[in-house]
Amino acid sequence: MRYLEDMILKLGSVDRRYIFLLIGLAVLIPLLRPIDLPIRTTPTTEKVYKAIQEIPANSKVLMSFDYGPSTKPEIHPMTLGVMRQLLREDHQIYITCLWPDGLYMALDALEEINQEFELVEYEDYVLLGFRPGNEAIVKGLASDLRKVYTVDYKQTMLADIPMMDGVNNLKDFQFIFTGSAGYPGTFEWVQYGGDPTGVPLSSGTTSIQVNEVMPYVQSGQVRGILAGMPGAAEYEKLIGTPGIAIQGMAAQSFAHLVIVLFIVLGNLAYFITEKRERKY
Amino acid sequence: MAFSTIFGAWIAAFLTLGILSYLYRDNPFYKIAEHVFVGVSAAYWAATFYWTQIYPNLFGRLFPKDGPLAFIAEVDFNHDFNILYLFPLLLGIMMLLSIFRQFNWMARWGIAYTVGIAAGLKAYGYLSSNVLSQISASAVDIFGGTLPIFSMSGDSVFNNIVILVGTISALMYFYFSREQTGSYGKFTRLGIYFLMISFGASFGFAVMGRISLLIGRFNDLILFSSPDYNYGTYWMMLFIVVILGFWSFQNPEKKEG
Repeated sequence: MRYLEDMILKLGSVDRRYIFLLIGLAVLIPLLRPIDLPIRTTPTTEKVYKAIQEIPANSKVLMSFDYGPSTKPEIHPMTLGVMRQLLREDHQIYITCLWPDGLYMALDALEEINQEFELVEYEDYVLLGFRPGNEAIVKGLASDLRKVYTVDYKQTMLADIPMMDGVNNLKDFQFIFTGSAGYPGTFEWVQYGGDPTGVPLSSGTTSIQVNEVMPYVQSGQVRGILAGMPGAAEYEKLIGTPGIAIQGMAAQSFAHLVIVLFIVLGNLAYFITEKRERKY
Repeated sequence: MAFSTIFGAWIAAFLTLGILSYLYRDNPFYKIAEHVFVGVSAAYWAATFYWTQIYPNLFGRLFPKDGPLAFIAEVDFNHDFNILYLFPLLLGIMMLLSIFRQFNWMARWGIAYTVGIAAGLKAYGYLSSNVLSQISASAVDIFGGTLPIFSMSGDSVFNNIVILVGTISALMYFYFSREQTGSYGKFTRLGIYFLMISFGASFGFAVMGRISLLIGRFNDLILFSSPDYNYGTYWMMLFIVVILGFWSFQNPEKKEG
C-alpha cells in the first residue's frame, strides 16, 4: 500500500512536459490510425437539424461566418454541414462575416461545397463579406441591409445582383445560422438580430461558449445549438455526411481519458500528502 | 502543386511547431511565431477595415461621382453625397490625434461618442434578450398538465423544480444584506453547489475546446507531412529540434529557488 501511495505521489508531481507529451500522443495516434467510435445525437443538435428541415423550400437563409482559422476545427464542420443541408433543399444562402477572417473561412467552405453541388454564384449563394462594427452591423442588417453592404466581397454592387432583389433587411430571410467563436457572434445575433425581428436563429459555437448560449436555447431564443466538435460530429451523422468532426471524436475521447486520469491522480496525490502531513 | 501553396504550408508548419515549442520552454522560435502573429494581425485588420468600411461606406458617401467634393477624389459606389458623414471622419481624425500630446484631448471626443453608442446599444440588447426574455423563460408552469414527472433531457416536473431551486438559491447567495447562517445559510450553500456544477461544466467544455484546436493543428501538420508538400512538417520539425537543442545547450534552464 505504501509502495502504491509513493508511486501515486511520484506521478502527482511529474514534470508537466510529460503530461503535454501524453496528451499530444493521445490526440495524434487516433488521427494517424482512425478508430470508429459510436456517435449519439443530443436533443440540442437534433433541434438545429429539425429547425433547418422545417424551413419552407426555396427560402432565403442568412449564414454568418463569425470565426477564424483558430477555431476552424470546431466550427468549420458545422458550417459545411449546414450548407449541405440547405443546398439539398434548394435554399439560397446569403453569407455575412462579423470576423475579418470569416471571409476566408466562407471562401474555403464554398470551395469544398462546390465540389459536391456545382454552385452558381448569385444564384445559389452570395458572399457579402466582412464588415467591421460587431453588434452595430447586426443592428444595421436588421434595419437596412443596404446601408451596411453596398457591395459584396468582390466589390459587385448589390443592385447588380439579381439574388439581392427584395432583400432589404433581416426580416426578408426565413432563417439565420451563425457559426460563432466568440465576440461578435451568437449573443449579438440573438440580441440585435433574432429577438428584434423574430426570424428563427440557430447557432454552432465553440465548446467554451456552450454554457453561456444554453439559456438562449432553453428559452427558445436560439433553435438548438451545435456544441463544439461533438455537436459538429452529431450533425454530420444527422445529415449522413461523415467529415472531419467525426474523425476527430476518437482523438477527443482519448485526450479526455488522459486528462481525467491525471485529474484523478492529482487528487489522490493531494489526499495522500494531506494524510501523511497529518500523521507526522 | 503550386510553389506558393507548398511554401505557405512550410511556413504554417514552422509557425505551428514554433508555438508548440513553448511547451518545452520559452525560446526564440516561439518569440518569432508570436511576433509574426501580432504584426500580421495588426496589418491585416488595418487593411481590411480600410477597404471594407472606410473606403466604400465613408469615402463613398463623401466623394461620390458628381458630388460637390468630387474635385478632391472620386469614389464611386452608387451612393449619394451625404454631408453628415463628415462627422465620423472628423471624429476618426480626432482619435488619431491622440499620438500628439498637445492634441490628445481631442481623442476623448471620439472615444466618448463610441462609448456612448456602445453603451446605448448594449443596454437595449441586454435588457431585452438577457433580462426580460430570460425572466419570462424561467417563469414556467412547474406542474404543467402534460409534463412527465422525470426526463433526462427536456421539460419535466423534476427538471422544472431543479431550475426553480437552482435559480433562487444561486441568486440568494449574492444577497449580502443578510448574514448567511442557519437554514438561510444552508439554502445559499445549495446555491454555491449549483454554481460549482456550472463552473465544472464550463471547465469541461473549455478543455474540450482546446483539444479540438489541437486536433485541428495536428490535422494540418499531418497533411503538410505528405509528399505533396515535400514533407514540410518533417523538415521544419528537424530544423526546430536541431536549433532548439543547440540553443538549450547554450542556454541551460535555470532552476527556481
